[in-house]
Amino acid sequence: MTWALLTVVALLLLGALHRERRRTQALQAQLEAAAADLQHLQEACSRLAPVGVVQRLIADGAGAGAERKVVTALFADLVGYTALSERLEPSVLARVLNGYFQRMSDAIHDHRGHVATFIGDGILAYFGALQPNPWQCDDAVRAALAMRGAIRDYNEELAAQGLPPLAVGVGIHRGPGLAGLVGSRERTEYAFVGRTVNLAARVQTLTRTHQVDILVTEALREHLDPRFVLTPMPAETVKGIAEPVVTYAVRE
Amino acid sequence: MANALHHVAWERCLLEPRHDANLEAYARRKMGVPHPAIRYFVDCPWLARALVDLHAEYGLLIRLDLHLGDLISLVVSQENSCRYCYAAVRTLLRIQGMSEARVQRMEQDLTREDLGPKAAAAIAFARTQSRSVPTVAAREKKQLLGAGFDVDTMKEIAFVVASTDFMNRASTIPAIPSRRVEQAPDRLRVRLLRPLIARVLEAHRSRGRPAPPVGPAAYPYAGLVAAYAGSPIAPVLAQTIEAMWTSPLLTRRCKLLMFAVIARGIGCSACAAEADTTLRGESLTERTLTQVLTHLDAPELDPVERVLVPFARETIWYEPAPLQRRARGVREQLSGPQFLEAVGVLALANGLCRLGAVLADHA
Repeated sequence: MTWALLTVVALLLLGALHRERRRTQALQAQLEAAAADLQHLQEACSRLAPVGVVQRLIADGAGAGAERKVVTALFADLVGYTALSERLEPSVLARVLNGYFQRMSDAIHDHRGHVATFIGDGILAYFGALQPNPWQCDDAVRAALAMRGAIRDYNEELAAQGLPPLAVGVGIHRGPGLAGLVGSRERTEYAFVGRTVNLAARVQTLTRTHQVDILVTEALREHLDPRFVLTPMPAETVKGIAEPVVTYAVRE
Repeated sequence: MANALHHVAWERCLLEPRHDANLEAYARRKMGVPHPAIRYFVDCPWLARALVDLHAEYGLLIRLDLHLGDLISLVVSQENSCRYCYAAVRTLLRIQGMSEARVQRMEQDLTREDLGPKAAAAIAFARTQSRSVPTVAAREKKQLLGAGFDVDTMKEIAFVVASTDFMNRASTIPAIPSRRVEQAPDRLRVRLLRPLIARVLEAHRSRGRPAPPVGPAAYPYAGLVAAYAGSPIAPVLAQTIEAMWTSPLLTRRCKLLMFAVIARGIGCSACAAEADTTLRGESLTERTLTQVLTHLDAPELDPVERVLVPFARETIWYEPAPLQRRARGVREQLSGPQFLEAVGVLALANGLCRLGAVLADHA
């Protein structure tokens, strides 16, 4: 009688143990699936925003405060894009553009910049926005030189496919502004707001006037390694800026 | 099961392990178990010793809960994407009896579910110090003190973060292999012996006791030692910093330049000022020094300095694999011991400058 009772109790316990084990396994599987989902989500986020911004969002939350900073802004634009877009099939144009954006982004990322946004065929990148970077001016100019080299290599690839070459104009300026997550309830992005970005964009347009590919402002040149070879350009007035803007072409 | 850093790309190791019975015995005596990576650091004795001595859980903490110290190490290693250190802390937690599911819950939500407000404040502070923007660190410090920690406990937390930052870089720059440590908790031998290993580890982990004050010192960054007067951290920190400065593998000037670059990159003005002042006595003109620190190169530097000065800034914020690829380029231009000492100096400079940023009130 006692043995039978003990056997029943043991069987009940074994059954409960088995059920508990299966439940734990199911929970572990759910946990792994959730972790995998999270991983995929983070990877997807990384394609929509710079990795540093995603990390900052994860760490500080959407409420991370904005702060005043001195940042170097680099604005790059394709020269003759409109003519190019009329000549190429949409699918070919998209492939050419994606190759261009990838190479430019790599050059910027390799020199510790982060691409803030693509504006049409333009690229806006910052140096020293996400983390303090006392060497941001040198980094931005080195990135621009790497972009020049990358365009040269890309043009060789395009020529081999019978496609027209690309040319890029780059404007770089250093100055203060407000860095942080800004936007509406529906859409927020990590941005740098201020005159610095506008001036970098305006200086980029001067690359056409001066027939050069990389221009930096006087404010940037003051912080630049003197070993960079620069050529002074005539001062020009640009839209939205009262004083004529003095720029320097970067040779090497 | 994969841990939170399993996806982090990790290059092939840049160092060759070498057997050193005395050093291995020293690590085993202190930690109770063999140090899984000490063989890689044999060629730079002060660095190898520091990797053992700066572990806070072996008698360096008087006030901070040792378990919270482990969590801080876990978080900082996660912040720094150090696969090796992260796996080591994770393995330690598993051996101490924490289930895989609980460790995973902690990884996913270290600031909310599993922690009380005080521990959560400590974790938030640790994260900020590791990222180290000094003004933000000062704000977090106030929050930490507001959460109920006293100043001495705050300093112990800051030390745990700094020593973890040091160990993370010492392991990440040369890409110390992480796989064995990652797999350790699931090995049959470890699972069978887990209670025994846990007891051995527990027997060696101990709370610290107040230590007699360290005598006045003239080497750079001695001020950080002074900040821990009376704590067992002070003599260990003093010994490590002094041994680093006196080691002959790299010149003192080269080490100072690396410290100066890292202090600047982190934004710790007090640490940068200390390095600058000392560098003025090191046969560099003011003009050259300004050129080096603002542009990371000058023709007046010697060949080793010209390699290490620009590399120093790479170690401040990094992704492991690109950093390790750049480190491979550096390794090819230096002797093995020089490279190893450079790894140690860079790792220590990152830890100490982050510590300096917290202790020096940069608000």
